[in-house]
Amino acid sequence: MNAGHFLAIFISSIFVSNVILSRFLGLCSFIAISKETRPALAMSSAVLFVIVMSSAITWVVYNYLLIPLDLAYLRTISFILVIASCVQLVEMVVRKFMPALYRVFGIYLPLITVNCAVLGVAVLNTDMFFSSGKPLPGSFIFSIFQGVCVGIGYTLAMLLMSAIRERLEYSRVPEAVREFPIAFVTASLMSLSFMGFNGFRF
Amino acid sequence: MKLLPEFLKGIIKQNPIFVLALGLCPVLAVSTSVKNALGMGAAATFVLVGSNCIVSLIKKAVPDKIRIPCFIIVIATFVTIAELVMKAYSPALNRALGIYVPLIVVNCMVLGRAEAFASRRTLSASFVDALGMGVGFTLGLALISAVRELLGSGQLLGYTLLPGFQPALMMALPPGALLVIGGMLGFFNLLKGRRE
Amino acid sequence: MENKLIVTAAPHLHAHQSTARIMWSVSLALLPAGAAGVYLFGYAALAIIVTAVAAALATEWLLQKMMRRQVTLLDGSAFLTGLLLAYNLPSGVPLWMPAVGSFFAIAVGKQIFGGLGQNIFNPALAARAFLMASWPAYMTSFRAPGFDAVACATPLSALKEGHLRQVYSYLDLFLGNKGGCIGEVCVAGLLAGAVFLFLKGYITWHIPVSYLFTAGILHYVFGPSGLFSGDWLFYLLSGGLVLGAFYMATDYVTSPLTAKGQLIYGTGCGLLTAVIRLWGGYPEGTCYAILMMNAVSPFIDRYTRGRIYGTGKMR
Repeated sequence: MNAGHFLAIFISSIFVSNVILSRFLGLCSFIAISKETRPALAMSSAVLFVIVMSSAITWVVYNYLLIPLDLAYLRTISFILVIASCVQLVEMVVRKFMPALYRVFGIYLPLITVNCAVLGVAVLNTDMFFSSGKPLPGSFIFSIFQGVCVGIGYTLAMLLMSAIRERLEYSRVPEAVREFPIAFVTASLMSLSFMGFNGFRF
Repeated sequence: MKLLPEFLKGIIKQNPIFVLALGLCPVLAVSTSVKNALGMGAAATFVLVGSNCIVSLIKKAVPDKIRIPCFIIVIATFVTIAELVMKAYSPALNRALGIYVPLIVVNCMVLGRAEAFASRRTLSASFVDALGMGVGFTLGLALISAVRELLGSGQLLGYTLLPGFQPALMMALPPGALLVIGGMLGFFNLLKGRRE
Repeated sequence: MENKLIVTAAPHLHAHQSTARIMWSVSLALLPAGAAGVYLFGYAALAIIVTAVAAALATEWLLQKMMRRQVTLLDGSAFLTGLLLAYNLPSGVPLWMPAVGSFFAIAVGKQIFGGLGQNIFNPALAARAFLMASWPAYMTSFRAPGFDAVACATPLSALKEGHLRQVYSYLDLFLGNKGGCIGEVCVAGLLAGAVFLFLKGYITWHIPVSYLFTAGILHYVFGPSGLFSGDWLFYLLSGGLVLGAFYMATDYVTSPLTAKGQLIYGTGCGLLTAVIRLWGGYPEGTCYAILMMNAVSPFIDRYTRGRIYGTGKMR
C-alpha cells in the first residue's frame, strides 16, 4: 500500500475507467438528469455520498458476515438490501435534520437504490480487493478510496455533460437526434478524449 | 384477453432498448461480441420471466408501502440463481460478463416491468409480457453487438465476414458503444418520424 | 475576436469580418506549414491533404443536402476542417484514412450537432482521436523527411521509449527536419501563419500563451533528471503543440468566450498536454488535451460569463 496505488486508483476510476463513460454504470441517471447543471450537481453529490457509505458498509458485511458464514454467493442479494436500507436511512436522517439539503437532493435519493453505480462499486470492490475469500492488505481503505474516486468521476461526467447539454439547447440539432441520441454521441466523444489517459504510469 | 399482442409489443412497439431506453448499462458494456450479448440477453430474460411471474403471484399479499423492496428481493433471488448457474456451466461467459450479471438486479427494465405490469396483471399476461420484453431486449442487444463486432473486428460470431476490411478498433471500445447506441436511437427516431 | 456573438445594446460598430473571411484567412495562414510538409514528406503528403479536404467538402455537401439545409461549402469551414485533419496525420497513412476521418469529422463532429458554430468538440481533433483509437498502427508509424519513405520515430515517441534525442538540434526541430505529422513538423511555418492571424486580429494571445506557458513550465519542472531539469524548448518545438495551441485550441466555436475563460482553458490544455506527455501511455497529448478542454469549455463559459449590467451578482 503506497501512494502509487492510490494514484492508480484515482486516475483509473476518474478517467480511464470512468464509471459512466467507460463502465456504463449509472448511465440511466446520467442521461436522464444531465439536462441542467443544478440538478446534475445535486444528484452527483447524493450519489457520491451513498457510494462512499455503501462501499464501507458492504465491505464490512462481506468480510465479517458473508465470508465467515460461507455465504459469499448471497453477495448480490445482501448488497442490494444493504444499499436499499442505507439509502432509506440517509433519506430519513437528511429529511429530519437537514431540511434545506433535503430540498436540494431529496427527490433523487430513492432513485439511487437502483443506480447501478452504487451496487457496481460494491461488487467491484469485492472483486478487486479480495482474493479467494481473503481481504488483500489495505483492502478496506482501498474500497473506500475507490468509492470516493468513482463518485468524483461520476460528478465530473455529470457536470461536464450538463453544461454541454445546456448549450445544446440553443443549437440547431437535427430533429431525429435531439435529446438522447445527441447525448450519447457527445458522451462518445467525451469518452474518446478520456482515452488520452490510457496506459498511465508513474 | 389476447396474449399475442402482449408478447409482440415488447419486440418492436415498446422495445425496451430502442423505444423505452431502459436497461442500457449492460447493453453498452457487454455488446462487444454477439456471443456475450446473447448470454446477457438469456440471463436477463430468465430474470425478467421469473420475477414477473412471482411478483404477479404475490401482488395481493404484499403491502403497498414495501412493495419495491419486496420486488427487489425477488429479482435479486433470480439474479443469484442465474449467476450460480452461469458460473457452474459456462465460467468463460461468466468471466466475460463480469460484474454486469449481478447488476441485472438494478436494471431498470426488470424493476420497471415488475412495478408497471406484473404487480397489477394476471400471471399469464405477466409471463407473456416478460417473455416479449426479454426477447425484445435480446434482439436489440444482438443487433447492437452485431454492428459493433462487425465494424470492430470484421467478424460475426467469430467468423470473418469482411476479408479486406481493416476493422475500426474503436467500435469495440467504450466510445464505439456510445456512438452506435446514439446512432441507432437517432435512426429509429427517423423511422418513427417518417411513419407518422 | 471574442464576444462576437454576444448581443449588446446600440451603438454597434461593424467590423469587416465574416465567418468565411476568418476561415479562409486561417487556411491561408496554414499554407506555409503545409507547403513545408509537402516539401519534407513528398507527394504522399499532398495526396493526403487533397483527399482529406475533398472528403470533408463532399460530406458537408451531402449532409446539408440530406437535411435540406442551405449548402455552405464556400464559408471555408469544411475546407479548414479537412486541412487541419490532414495536418494531424502521419505522411504514410493509406488514402482511405483521411477520407474516413474527414467523414467522421464532418458527420459526427459537426453536422450532427447542427452544423457550423454548434459543435462541442473540434471536428478535426475528434476525427484524429477516432482514427487513433481505430487504426493505431497506421497512426503511429511515421516517416523521416525525404522522398524515400524511411520509417522513423518522432522526437517525442523516441524519448518515450528511452532513446537519446541528441540527434535533433533546436534548428532541426524549428524548421521541421524530424519525423511527425504532415502539418506539425515545420514550427517556423506555423509561427509565420500565427503572426499573420495575430496582426489581422483573428486570434488573441490568451489561449496560445497560457497554453504554451503552462506546458513549458511543467516540462521544465518535471524533467527527466529531477525537478527543474526539463528541456522545455525541446518539448515546445516537438509534436503538435504549436499547431494545437495556435490553430486548434483557438477555434472560436469550441473554446470559451471571455478572456478569463480562455486563460483557464489554455492553462487546462497545457496542464493536460504535459501530464499525458510525461506520464501517459501516448507520446503526444495535444489532441486529447484540447478535446478534453473542449468538453469543459461550456462549463467554463457557464461560470465566467459576465453579469448583465444592473443585475445582481450571478449565482
